[in-house]
Amino acid sequence: MRVKLKTGPEPKKFIERVEELSGENVYACYQCGRCSAGCPVAFEMDILPNQVIRLVQMGLEEEVVRSKTLFLCASCFTCQSRCPKGIDMARVMEAVRYILDPKGKDAFGPDEIPVDLANELPQQVMVSICRKFSK
Amino acid sequence: MKVHYYPGCTLKEKTTNLDNSTREAMKRLDVELVEPEGWTCCGAEYPLTEEKIVGLAAPIRVLRQVREESGDVLITTCSFCYAVLKRANKAVREDPLKHKRINAYLKDDIKINALTKEKTTGFTEYNGEVKVLHLLEYLRDAVGYPKIRSRLKRDLKGLKIAPYYGCRLLRPQKEVGIDEPDNPHIFEEFLEVLGCASVDFPFKQECCGSYLSVSLPDAATEASYQILRSAGLNGAQAIAVSCPLCFYNMDRRQDRIREKFMDFTGLPVLFFTQLMAWALGVEKKVLGLDQHFYPPDHLFREEKKAEVVL
Repeated sequence: MRVKLKTGPEPKKFIERVEELSGENVYACYQCGRCSAGCPVAFEMDILPNQVIRLVQMGLEEEVVRSKTLFLCASCFTCQSRCPKGIDMARVMEAVRYILDPKGKDAFGPDEIPVDLANELPQQVMVSICRKFSK
Repeated sequence: MKVHYYPGCTLKEKTTNLDNSTREAMKRLDVELVEPEGWTCCGAEYPLTEEKIVGLAAPIRVLRQVREESGDVLITTCSFCYAVLKRANKAVREDPLKHKRINAYLKDDIKINALTKEKTTGFTEYNGEVKVLHLLEYLRDAVGYPKIRSRLKRDLKGLKIAPYYGCRLLRPQKEVGIDEPDNPHIFEEFLEVLGCASVDFPFKQECCGSYLSVSLPDAATEASYQILRSAGLNGAQAIAVSCPLCFYNMDRRQDRIREKFMDFTGLPVLFFTQLMAWALGVEKKVLGLDQHFYPPDHLFREEKKAEVVL
């Protein structure tokens, strides 16, 4: 993937905001890839979890925000339990989701729940998906 | 013995079999379950960013109510409720900023008498006094395995069950983990106390796809298929779970798994409390076996009687 690096206050602001929201030190990551290796939904992702954190390190907000990986994370914390540097990747994902345009469309809101499934879905899944993927 | 019990929203409607089997089994172990008065949904997801603190208000409100009723332990069976309640409790206990902000939210929560409009109870800050335990932990630490063994009425010998932990019971270890995240054994020990054989399989701590079964069904189908297939290949007759969402993904969605993967023939998914209730002598109709997609009736055969120990 070809990306153009930017310098100046904008990328730095993005990195600082992610670190502030997640409480994690993104620079601790040395790209071993264990998070991507253990991720149960990695096969559906366009950018793998370790690539997400690399893009955050480089301050490439647009590339991260564009990826659908953010809305594939099931917060199962497999990456967190395997990270040799103790980074909680699920928190980084959540921080980036939180930064997304607050006026934009929900990635998955109550209206998207399929009507034919609404009767069989357990309540907890409807609550949790709306809390994760809507504003 | 009296203990506070938080069923959670799903157990009250979609998986009443988990709730009923828990209640019946605990009755036979002389444990009285008390629901906190006026409990609400726990929120299902613990907010992971530092700024979404309002998500902690719901679980802390439940825990505060337990403390008001002078309870010191709260047990849950749903893995989601367990994770949220336990993490929220820990956050309030250890993070002074979160403690301050949550208690500021809850200040307006004082009960008001409907008739006289007078405030009935004063507000006291919640500092994380209540201990949150999963039912498996409670059975091990408070009830004790010898007591369970002495109350068994049916013999489950010959049943091969694969214990499935899923994500919320184990990770993050520092905050919720009931056991080691990569080599857990509490579930196996419990199944062996009940008398059945536990089957070890490599997918016991993998994720079943969680809430992605709504937004991206294919991912959840694939993840659940891998777990069921691995358990079947290792010789399990059924999988035991503790989470209503794992149950939904792996049992209620088995028709969709079969559609996608032709080699999949099906595997019963049970709640561990159903096995416990059955071993303790609860009647079959209480177990709610009709709520399963893959009928597990053949695993609950009446003719198996426990040998009488004199």
